[in-house]
Amino acid sequence: MKTVKTILIALLLIAVTPLTAQTADEIIDNYFENTGGKDAWQELEGIKISGSISAQGMEIPVEVIQTKDGEQLVTINFQGQEIKQMAFDGETLWTTNMMTMQAEKSDAESNENMKKQAKKGFPSPFLNYKDKGYTVELMGKETIEGTETYKLKLTQDPIMVDGKEVPNVSYYYFETENFVPIATENEVQQGPMKGQTMQNSMSDYQEVDGLYFPFDMGISGQSLKVKEITLNPETNEGMFAFPQ
Amino acid sequence: MRKLLLIIVMAVCLPCTVSAQEIALKGKELFGDMKARHIGPALMSGRINDIEMHPTNTRIMYIGAAGGGVWKSNDGGATFSPIFDEHAQSIGVVTLDPKDPDQTIWVGTGETWTRNSVSIGDGLFKSTDGGNNWKEIPGFENSERIASVVINPNNTDEVYVGVLGALWSDSEDRGVYKTTDGGKTWNKILYVGPATGAADVIMDPINPNVLYASMWQFRRTGWSFTSGGENSALYKSTDNGKTWNKIHNGFPEGDLGRIAIAVAPSDHNILYAVLETEEKDKNGLWKSTDAGKSWEHLNNDFGLTVRPFYFSRITVDPKNPDIVVKGGLTGSISRDGGKTFKNLGPMHADIHDVTFHINDSDIIYSATDGGLYRSWNGGSVFEIVEDLPLSQFYHISTDDADPYNVYGGLQDNGSWYGPSSSPGGVNARDWNSVGYGDGFRVLKHPTKNIIYSEMQGAQNVWRYDVDRNRTRTVQPLPKKGDAELRFNWNAPMAVSVHAPDRFYMGSQFVHKSEDMGETWEIISPDLTTNDPKKQNQAKSGGLSVDNSGAENHTTIFTIAESPLDENIIWAGTDDGNVQVTTNGGKTWHNVTENLTGIPKNTWVYHIEASVHGKGTAYAVFEGHTTGDMKPYALKTTDYGKTWKSIVSEDIQDNAFVRNIQEDYENEDLLFLGTELGLYVTIDGGKNWSQFTNNMPPAAVHFIDMQKQTNDVVMGTHGRGVIIIDDISPLRQLTPAVLEKDVHFFETEPFTMTEDSGFSGSFGTETQFVGQNKPTSARIVYYLKKRHTFGKMEMEVQDMEGNKIASLTPGKSKGINIVNWNFTSATPKMAAGKTLSFSGFTAPRVPAGSYKIVLTKGKNTYENTITLKYDEKSLTTLAERKEQEQLTKEMFNMVEDLAYMVYELGQWQAKAQAVIENHPKGKKQAQNLYDALETLRKDLVVTTGDNYVASAEPELRERMGDLYADIAGSFSKVTAAQKQNMTLISEEFTEAKARYKKIKDKEGRKFMKFLEKNDIEKTSIKTKEAFLSED
Repeated sequence: MKTVKTILIALLLIAVTPLTAQTADEIIDNYFENTGGKDAWQELEGIKISGSISAQGMEIPVEVIQTKDGEQLVTINFQGQEIKQMAFDGETLWTTNMMTMQAEKSDAESNENMKKQAKKGFPSPFLNYKDKGYTVELMGKETIEGTETYKLKLTQDPIMVDGKEVPNVSYYYFETENFVPIATENEVQQGPMKGQTMQNSMSDYQEVDGLYFPFDMGISGQSLKVKEITLNPETNEGMFAFPQ
Repeated sequence: MRKLLLIIVMAVCLPCTVSAQEIALKGKELFGDMKARHIGPALMSGRINDIEMHPTNTRIMYIGAAGGGVWKSNDGGATFSPIFDEHAQSIGVVTLDPKDPDQTIWVGTGETWTRNSVSIGDGLFKSTDGGNNWKEIPGFENSERIASVVINPNNTDEVYVGVLGALWSDSEDRGVYKTTDGGKTWNKILYVGPATGAADVIMDPINPNVLYASMWQFRRTGWSFTSGGENSALYKSTDNGKTWNKIHNGFPEGDLGRIAIAVAPSDHNILYAVLETEEKDKNGLWKSTDAGKSWEHLNNDFGLTVRPFYFSRITVDPKNPDIVVKGGLTGSISRDGGKTFKNLGPMHADIHDVTFHINDSDIIYSATDGGLYRSWNGGSVFEIVEDLPLSQFYHISTDDADPYNVYGGLQDNGSWYGPSSSPGGVNARDWNSVGYGDGFRVLKHPTKNIIYSEMQGAQNVWRYDVDRNRTRTVQPLPKKGDAELRFNWNAPMAVSVHAPDRFYMGSQFVHKSEDMGETWEIISPDLTTNDPKKQNQAKSGGLSVDNSGAENHTTIFTIAESPLDENIIWAGTDDGNVQVTTNGGKTWHNVTENLTGIPKNTWVYHIEASVHGKGTAYAVFEGHTTGDMKPYALKTTDYGKTWKSIVSEDIQDNAFVRNIQEDYENEDLLFLGTELGLYVTIDGGKNWSQFTNNMPPAAVHFIDMQKQTNDVVMGTHGRGVIIIDDISPLRQLTPAVLEKDVHFFETEPFTMTEDSGFSGSFGTETQFVGQNKPTSARIVYYLKKRHTFGKMEMEVQDMEGNKIASLTPGKSKGINIVNWNFTSATPKMAAGKTLSFSGFTAPRVPAGSYKIVLTKGKNTYENTITLKYDEKSLTTLAERKEQEQLTKEMFNMVEDLAYMVYELGQWQAKAQAVIENHPKGKKQAQNLYDALETLRKDLVVTTGDNYVASAEPELRERMGDLYADIAGSFSKVTAAQKQNMTLISEEFTEAKARYKKIKDKEGRKFMKFLEKNDIEKTSIKTKEAFLSED
């Protein structure tokens, strides 16, 4: 009920004073408040997202697990096979080679970059971002997907790309009406798309045990449709670890 | 309950935040996710004004294009990405902060190589995050052209900016400016006069108190250019710009022109300057070895003296003061301190800037009229960067091919045509050359495979027979008794929809040919002002005569024959006349007097004769060659007797207009090509919105609307061809539509294209590849509000309501576009050790009507779309129906096999459990398991991997391959495929029989054991449940 109240208040406030100046911290606070409250977000131990990625007529079931300790696992289910597409146990980042279906360790740079980010990124890099050493800057308002948003610049720990350190900057667009992010932007740091900006979108926010999550995420042209989100799912260390 | 409450709360609250005003959508809200796509080309690229190297990171470099914005490379110049797409695309200078080169970038806009066709800049910008975000620095709004940004390396808050300023008018904004607080406040520290700008400002590499500034007196008009005057001078300051002194010791007396200046990074006493003087033999390179106290003349070779307004950049090797490069027609390099020069190696002509790699001077980058080049061997061999689509179109047109072609002429890069879509994207190799020199108008004959093209001043007009590969020149020539013909640099041409062989050209007269240019008839008097004061081009140029034809004036610039009546012809001239004939040229009416709000003699850039009424026409005017940058567009409905302005304050006040395109159906829908991007109105010009979705504010020189596709095709002067696919939804935007929460736009039936050629991408890794037009169905709808909370889904259903496919709906406020590639879901494949790639093939649906069902919260919205087969298909309807039927049979067979393998697996799992937990039943269980395993090994691959260690194909693989082969084809099913199908279905029948036999024998015994011991039976999902799960 608390969430509803705060959203109601937030909406009313916006309706009355739509141009109230906001600071980046106020926007972030509002975001957490409107999506379940900072306390609840802080208590979150882990999350399991079950959904499907649709691409060219195919719907590929996918399951994403992330934990407070920085463990991550992306499993796709394809033609009856469970494939751990990406896994990180806090120390080792690894993937499954689609040719051999064997686990392979990621390169040292990617591993280190993941190590730096995984723990601090859960459940949101904005949560206590100052303690993490991140900086946030309000860049102003911008129209995204036809709607007015606050553009926030988030700077996380720098990462290494092909032997050189580069800043890790991303932009989040919070809808002014309700303070939830509806899009993010990152500069692609490697590969043939390097230097180009990748925009991801978020919509269909729904409540799960008091917290609000986007149930539709557009990630580089593909759509992740969420069917179910489980908070604090059961996990075991083995599921994230590189198979020996 | 909470969710419900939330929805209610939102539903109650939201209407009060949406006021009536917001309904009149503008800008990004109006266009939603309608996006422009860029097709280049990049193979001839375009003019680049400036190159900037990162001072320490060899991977990073930037270029500032003449009309194509700022691009950054992260890979040493192999590929580039645009980083300045929200601002004016004409760039003067890019400068990195020496202390913070990763983050802080300064961009001065406005090209500084002041040819006739340059675009204008729009101020000074700074990014403090590596180019992701830009802030305009106040104070430079009227600078027009910024030549230099120089930063004190010891104190990067101290910045000097050289403003070259307005090209076509006086301006007090010129001069050298200084800030000491990073750009918050500025002082003008050197100003000579309203006609003299800062052409170059540089700083001593060791002592930042020492500055050099070259000041240049120059002026261009529509008909002339002047370089030089008493105010041109080279200055030096030794006190941070407080005082300036001329350093001309040794220079000849008299007026000077444009002066290039450079200091050797490795020896700050050595300066090089290139002068334009009154004494021809004193032009060219000068050198000082005492930091400007005295000068010595070294060289006046052609390469050092050619066209100073266009080439005035000297670059000194960062390590060796004797290696000097000068921009020019070919570029020149000296290795003896400037005494002698040789040409740089072959590359596109007209070199504007050259830089050296920071660590290896063998690597040289060169900015030309045709893109960026790089040399690995000190400048004798150059290769082009293939990733910069900076092409500068003067004009474009389209044909009615499918996919249609785009034709156009380019600044210094000839004439071309290429497809609007091509397998694998529009590649460099898709473009065809159809003219030399500078290219302008290129028109396709309306019915024959013949192309007209031209070069500057109609010196050649080519008629190219594409099929026979034959070219001939067909320009109008004077005959006895004719006046000397005056053609514009960019001479007008037109073809007729009424008589396909008719071809018009304009000099000061309108010329008409009825036989594709073989014979010409002059059908007008001199339609211009014929002002002799504007016809003295032989003396144009100032200190250096520059009569390239680019300044030819008092000429016709646009000709438009009415699409409704061939006797109605409009002509507009570069000196401000609008003339019309209603009797095929027998008599002409000069309607210039009737124009409203247009200053006298303002260039008539384009006239569009309307399809909506014989007397209706649009005319756009631009006065930039007099310094008047205001947008002007007028409409008449009575043959020019009266005109009304159709521009509004929505258009930026310096976005002068070069082109207008009307919609063929909705008279109120208009597209305006301006110097600073594209504007669109849906209400006949009362409100305009700038189109910014993947559309930089580049100068839009010409717009065409392709009739079959309703695509808006733009020729930009710096970013190539940019297309907005199918604008028909904009026709349907009415206030009633905007009031609705959700509105589906009506769409024409979609053709399921069967094109299925090959597209090799060999060697294109570092090439620009243009985006294709999607060939899928476009589902277009309007949302009043961005959907953020709650579920919103979209699916395709057949007319009976059965689900065919799920789609991902767009959630934007405004127009949303969702593509559907005409396929339903992929089949569920049997599980094996490896993946079956045939499982990626989804069957195409048959032609017919389909429902699009959008569910948003509790509400459902529906629309129907129609699909049709490709008219160019090689398949008969009966053959296609058979293909669809057999696809369905194979699809079902593939899924039957999947279910059988699943069921079999469940039995095996149970048997395995019994083996492990019930020793008494081990025998029966083992027998069953083994029998099933033998069968399974014949059904699916159970060993190997997905690459070269793959196992021999089993039934699943062979069945799947045949399914994919039939489903993926557009042709009739072949006899071989049918025979193969018989074979596979017999094998499958056989496998099913084997399976039944096992179930009857080993299975029954196993079941008996389970029953006897009260063990739970194997749980097996129904086939329906199995197929519908993920």
